[in-house]
Amino acid sequence: MKLDRRSFIKLMAMNSAATAAATLFPGVSFGAWSTTEMASGGIVWKKTPCRFCGTGCSLLVGVSGDRAVAVKGDPNSTVNKGLCCVKGYHSIQILYGKDRIQKALVRKNGKMVEVPVAEALDLVARKMQETIQTHGKDAVAMYGSGQWSITDGYVASKLFKGCIGTNNVEANARLCMASAVTGCLTTFGLDEPMGCYEDIEKADVFVTWGNNMAEMHPVLFSRMLATRKNRTHVKIIDFATRTTRSSLAADRSILFRPQTDLAVANAICYEIIHNGWVNWDFVNKHASFHKGKTNIGYGTEDHFKFKDKAETVDFNAFKTFLDDYTPENVEKISGVPAKDIKYLAALYGDPDKKVTSFWTMGMNQHTRGTWINNLVYNIHLLTGKISSPGNSPFSLTGQPSACGTVREVGTLTHKLPHGVVMNPDHRKMAARIWDVPVENIDPKPTYHTVEMFRALDRGDIRFMWIQVTNPMVTMPNLRRYRDGAEKEGRFVVVSEIYPTPTSDIADVILPSALWIEREGFFGNSERRTQHNEQIVPMPGETVSNTWQIMEVARKMGFEKQFPWSEETYIEDIWNEYIQFHDSPKHRMAPFKVLKERSGVQWPYVNGMETKWRYNAKYDPACKQKDFDFYGKKDHRAWIWLRPYEPPAESPDSEYPFWLNTGRVLEHWHTGSMTRRVPILHKAMPESYVEINPDDAARMGITNGSDVKISSRRGSLVMKAAINGRGNPPRGMVFVPFFDEKYLINEVTLDAFCPISKQPDYKKCAVKLERA
Amino acid sequence: METSNRKLGKVFLAFAGICVLALPAIVFWALSYGPDEIEAATVETSQTTFDENSATIFVSHDALTRSYLEGTSSQRTLEEYYSRRQYPGSPPWIPHKVEDESRERIACLTCHEKGGWTETLKRHTPVTPHPENTSCRQCHVKMETEDLFVDINWKSILPPRLGRSHLPGGPPPIPHDLQMRGDCIACHVGPGAVAAIRVDHPSRGNCRQCHVPDSFAGLFQR
Repeated sequence: MKLDRRSFIKLMAMNSAATAAATLFPGVSFGAWSTTEMASGGIVWKKTPCRFCGTGCSLLVGVSGDRAVAVKGDPNSTVNKGLCCVKGYHSIQILYGKDRIQKALVRKNGKMVEVPVAEALDLVARKMQETIQTHGKDAVAMYGSGQWSITDGYVASKLFKGCIGTNNVEANARLCMASAVTGCLTTFGLDEPMGCYEDIEKADVFVTWGNNMAEMHPVLFSRMLATRKNRTHVKIIDFATRTTRSSLAADRSILFRPQTDLAVANAICYEIIHNGWVNWDFVNKHASFHKGKTNIGYGTEDHFKFKDKAETVDFNAFKTFLDDYTPENVEKISGVPAKDIKYLAALYGDPDKKVTSFWTMGMNQHTRGTWINNLVYNIHLLTGKISSPGNSPFSLTGQPSACGTVREVGTLTHKLPHGVVMNPDHRKMAARIWDVPVENIDPKPTYHTVEMFRALDRGDIRFMWIQVTNPMVTMPNLRRYRDGAEKEGRFVVVSEIYPTPTSDIADVILPSALWIEREGFFGNSERRTQHNEQIVPMPGETVSNTWQIMEVARKMGFEKQFPWSEETYIEDIWNEYIQFHDSPKHRMAPFKVLKERSGVQWPYVNGMETKWRYNAKYDPACKQKDFDFYGKKDHRAWIWLRPYEPPAESPDSEYPFWLNTGRVLEHWHTGSMTRRVPILHKAMPESYVEINPDDAARMGITNGSDVKISSRRGSLVMKAAINGRGNPPRGMVFVPFFDEKYLINEVTLDAFCPISKQPDYKKCAVKLERA
Repeated sequence: METSNRKLGKVFLAFAGICVLALPAIVFWALSYGPDEIEAATVETSQTTFDENSATIFVSHDALTRSYLEGTSSQRTLEEYYSRRQYPGSPPWIPHKVEDESRERIACLTCHEKGGWTETLKRHTPVTPHPENTSCRQCHVKMETEDLFVDINWKSILPPRLGRSHLPGGPPPIPHDLQMRGDCIACHVGPGAVAAIRVDHPSRGNCRQCHVPDSFAGLFQR
């Protein structure tokens, strides 16, 4: 370009004019920004746990007037130390989607009509009472969430289990971490991890079992990367079924065939024993050996029942059991080279290395989910690498309060806030704290999540109230459960913030206050409880889920059990709830402490948090020297003999591909919140099917072309992603489930772990066709 | 061509005239601008993080050549800078083509740690103020579409106003949070910096001897 004097001056003038305009005039809007009126006094920063994953980052939300305007990581938090991920930084934008539900809606003559919230709550209470009168108390159900605030889950459990007297309370966390719970209970007798995130700075080796932390727990992943950078000998081993962002950052990526993690874990134990790496001092004092049932089924049929039976055995029985799992044998099943199995075993076996194992959905969404949890604990127990800084078998939860609201409050059919409904002492305790007759609490569990939706389909359940979750996207074998929910004579209440495929089938939609629009608590993966105050006003006629349940309970005649006022109900409920956990094994921090700090870990005893449980040095509940696994009557952690068993459905000649499903960095679960955040939607606008490049080439599928995926249950057409963010091995495809336009769960199978009842979203057989 | 240039020239002359006329108004406005409004117009800086990682300034300053420090480029504007953010201080999205991860290891830092001229994009690379975080794409994402899923009723606060010296010619205080943005050199110096916020005295390496955080503590009162 030729620059003459005149055009040079023109250019300069334009530049300086633009600069002058941008710097001198207040109120100039940059780009497409719509700016807010400024409140006097500047921005006020308020603490809250993040709305999204189970990491439980503490955020500081910047508030100007009555609007949330900015986010930064809370530097006081030991979880994220001031860092967030892209979802966290933009999390406040989930409050402001244009189609926010702000009024109650009731179906009248097939159309949703706006009504006052009080009228909708009246209808919910009346409908519940009518259903109980006509069909019995087990015909009404509550389906909640690991994104429930702790008080939401607590009042739901109190109303249904204590007042109405039905155990029909479940939460979507059943789909997310039930196997982690049964894994903990069968091995240690008590739920939730023994370690904490500080293990990340202390470990020498990280093994991630079938999870993709770079996208699903990004803040913890970057903590791991920082550890490796600071202490250069640190190794990260990614053990998974497909290549992900995490595999690329790891020092080693080892791929195994779906389901064969069971065999590999046993082979690692075989190697540990045969190389003399067993920590005998630890095993002799703190472990015992047990065997359970085998050939335990997959639960794909209605009314499936299974109860495990433990048989105590000795070390020799364990050693003999492992004879089938030589690295060479397991190489044939798993596709993992024997030398890689030996490498993994050597890392676990090296007495000078501290090892932390992380896992999430790969191990939990597994038809042998409880078993694989047990087997990874076996490795840590044999080597004594547990309950001490850096040595940690660590199950990460997916949701912000899966631990806080589901595992700790016990919003599952068999659970109470303390213990289980089957135990008379636990029922007595609940009846006393809840101020209900003990006979109210039914000693028999009813339906776990999959069976609950089957019961809705069959007509055994007639009324279901769904809060903070989107089962019409997330249920496996979705078509059956959607058709079932839409049948004549079913009444579905949905508490929601935005329209979703679940609110589409509702008879009543209740407008919910979201996250920082109300006061509440979340509990994260490392036993940390975090409080948030109400930071911005509730929009429109929205109310908190806790308040919705309390109002309905009162309308049903349970005023005595729900006496709290609108001003203090969250604090009052907390004070009642923590009576359930008042022992050194689980004591929760008082309200005042939670209000002050960016999260507190339980057990909170004599003003101190417990970072490592079962270790006498850190855990005041220990009665023995060094370690005390006090959850079990024998004060030992249980090593389980759990064999490899094949999955419920494997690829065959008709359906030759594995289908694996999961999440992506940008979207939270079904995307009902994150897809309304501009940057997150723009970065990840729609779902896709990842296909291995060799498979794609063989079938003539090109990047972005339409592919039809079909299983025995359903099919859908979506775009192919080849060499995209992740890369499945040959014979496997991967589909993210966030996109309601592509309901991949119409294709998945509703097989589940018979012990945990958690479905397996990672394995079923499909075929691919060019579409 | 000649005439159109003349026309434009007149337009700019008129604009300059308006600017001159508006100047007293601006001065008046600046003088009458109450402290409350000034406070409101910026993101509060946090005292606790003021000196966190402040050593990075000296390290960066030492590591950079004189020619880099003095480098200028007028390509990056504040408008462009803010157009990639949802609010002042939020992580910007990635405005250029990036390889998907399965191609190779994430390599953002090869360019964004040190900066410099990039031949493919024909411009100087902006430098990250927090290269210690290596999982870049945990926060920075690339855009696949311009469309929204549904509209949003989002309102952002204004970016901090520039030139907020307390006295004529005095050093302006730091108007933004220092958390993850504590290395002044990364954003305020060199050819990759945004022109409007680039300092004209890059050879001085102890930024915070003159520029202090604006903490909105209000005025001292006994």
